[in-house]
Amino acid sequence: MKTWWCYSGLPLVVGATLTVSSALAQTVDTARIEAAGQNDWLTYHGSYKSYHYSPLSQINAGNVGNLSVAWMHIPGRSTRGLQSMPVAADGVLYYSGSYSRVFALNGATGEVIWSYFPELDEALIARQTHSPYNRGVALGEGKVFVGTMDGRLFGLDAKTGKVLWETKLIDSQKLTVGFTGAPLYAKGTVIIGSQGGEWPGRGPIFAVDATTGKKKWEFLTVAGTDDAMKTWGNDSWRTGGGGGWMPGTYDSETNTVLWGTANPAPLYDWSGADFKTQGARPGDNLYTSSVIGLDLDTGKLKFYHQELPHDAWDFDSAVGEFVMLERDGQKYVVHPNKGGFVFVYDRNLAVKNVWPLVQNINFVKSIDPKTGELIGRRDFSVGKVTEMPLCPYIGGGISWNSGSYNPKTGLYYKLGQEWCMTLDIQKTTPVTTPQAQLNIGADFKMAPPPSGEIYGHLDARDPITGEKKWEVRYPEPPLGSVLSTAGNLVFVPDSRGILHAYDADNGAELWNHSDGTGHQGGIISYSANGKQYIAVTAGFGGMLSDDYAPNFGGVYKSMPRDDGALIVYSLK
Amino acid sequence: MKSSVKRIAALPVAVLAVSLSCVAAAQSPTPAPDSETFDVEQLFAGTCGFCHSEGGRAAGKGPQLMNTPRDDDFIRNRIKHGKQGAMPAFDGALTDSQIDQIVTYIRALKPRAG
Repeated sequence: MKTWWCYSGLPLVVGATLTVSSALAQTVDTARIEAAGQNDWLTYHGSYKSYHYSPLSQINAGNVGNLSVAWMHIPGRSTRGLQSMPVAADGVLYYSGSYSRVFALNGATGEVIWSYFPELDEALIARQTHSPYNRGVALGEGKVFVGTMDGRLFGLDAKTGKVLWETKLIDSQKLTVGFTGAPLYAKGTVIIGSQGGEWPGRGPIFAVDATTGKKKWEFLTVAGTDDAMKTWGNDSWRTGGGGGWMPGTYDSETNTVLWGTANPAPLYDWSGADFKTQGARPGDNLYTSSVIGLDLDTGKLKFYHQELPHDAWDFDSAVGEFVMLERDGQKYVVHPNKGGFVFVYDRNLAVKNVWPLVQNINFVKSIDPKTGELIGRRDFSVGKVTEMPLCPYIGGGISWNSGSYNPKTGLYYKLGQEWCMTLDIQKTTPVTTPQAQLNIGADFKMAPPPSGEIYGHLDARDPITGEKKWEVRYPEPPLGSVLSTAGNLVFVPDSRGILHAYDADNGAELWNHSDGTGHQGGIISYSANGKQYIAVTAGFGGMLSDDYAPNFGGVYKSMPRDDGALIVYSLK
Repeated sequence: MKSSVKRIAALPVAVLAVSLSCVAAAQSPTPAPDSETFDVEQLFAGTCGFCHSEGGRAAGKGPQLMNTPRDDDFIRNRIKHGKQGAMPAFDGALTDSQIDQIVTYIRALKPRAG
């Protein structure tokens, strides 16, 4: 359906007319992010509710056929593609590229207002594996915040790009890791989590004063409390892991930061079933592969749920979405786990339900939907895993990018991935000097599921019960984020480079357009000068997309892995 | 069948040192003396295999290394200096003799039985 008509009852131009004049720009603060103004996209997840949803409806199911490219921006030096989620405030779009290059652009025209390229430790970056991509910035108090691969957090003037402060938070020379994820701003504080899962370290999450850049607190996701220390036998907390490399969110009602944490190291343990007492890291390994609630002011742990006690599969909880819902008077938080399950919690992270998004899961038989307990887990010993491949693949049944909840349809639109892996478990010793190296613990290879071929799918589901309303399949799993809008649309940027728009009610494809290269980053909608725009990052390459050429061939064989563009659409 | 060079004894490595106290040790610009066992297969399972699948026997994020047409100098150079956006540089982490052992491991790679 591509007829010309205006969505009945909905305004063509939603909200006040905006200009990009910084003189008219309002400060981005906690109340404004909480209110989730319809013209803006103020945090990585859109707002604290983490809906990845735009209330704008100028572009809608009736006219999306007239969507075309308004402008583009090339950030340059897009090593490992472009993986970030833009943000937008008062008609200005801010985004980051590889090497933490930051741009402020006129949201209506793409004109560069300012740019900032931090001087990075290039020799360090050349020795890093999960680098030099950057996944986004945060806005607050007239500043733009961005992390770097060499362990720093910057506060930039949102009007000029001038550095107001920079704070060194991690000794990346020693630990290898740095920051690739976007920060989160709340109540005068900037929160950012480090990389960590594959390296020896304690995976810190930091809070920094937004005004001064001074560190306020640090929470260690590996053995960060006395109780947690007891869950790492044989002092294995030293081999570490953890981290929180994707931004979580903030619950203002309880003044709590909600964050997901990464896996312990090595990824694959040789303990066998006796993982409480044997293997590389005997015990549950708190607070890895967990969701945690930290007091914003003190960093003290308030509550947590470990989604995968003693994660032996690298199916961690670092996915940043905490979708804040309310139904029948009950408040929920929905959080996807890399293993392919979606956890439903109350606001204190007590389990309310667990449902599988993907079909090919066999690292456990199931997860108890009432308690979250893992049932029939597979714990491996040294040697080749022979009985059946491990499902999902290390890329996850759910990857790190975000889905979208649409309050108008009540549906959660989320990408799932159906793939598995062969595995040969090895004993490893952590490499810690002169610089920490990866600690994987196995040789592995992508493999098709026992039931058939690899594929990906967009599901439209009830976020609480998991009931599926419709599904769209893709020959290769899409890796980008999903956007839904009040225009009854769902946008999916796929791996081949096609941006799709679907009818939010039934999944019918209404429009598509090639962005020229694969997607693995963010997509948002905002308004500038009274006009709605859709902005998507394109550019392939990195720790998961590098698997596509050898495994899928086709368009991936010639797809660049050092290129990218921000592409912005509007109605003709 | 495991690789015939599965365990290469009496070779370096600070990078594979068992001691965990080095987590807190000051960074050293050069690797420690070659005084401990260097296990290339373990190195692949820990680090290299993340990209070079099945211990280098199959293509993954990085190319298949078994039966590679590249010569030894190319492989040594790639391990030392990496490739921007694709492979890290290991010249600060591995000694020349360790890199030689990795080349030996790659040359001896055979398909695994079963």
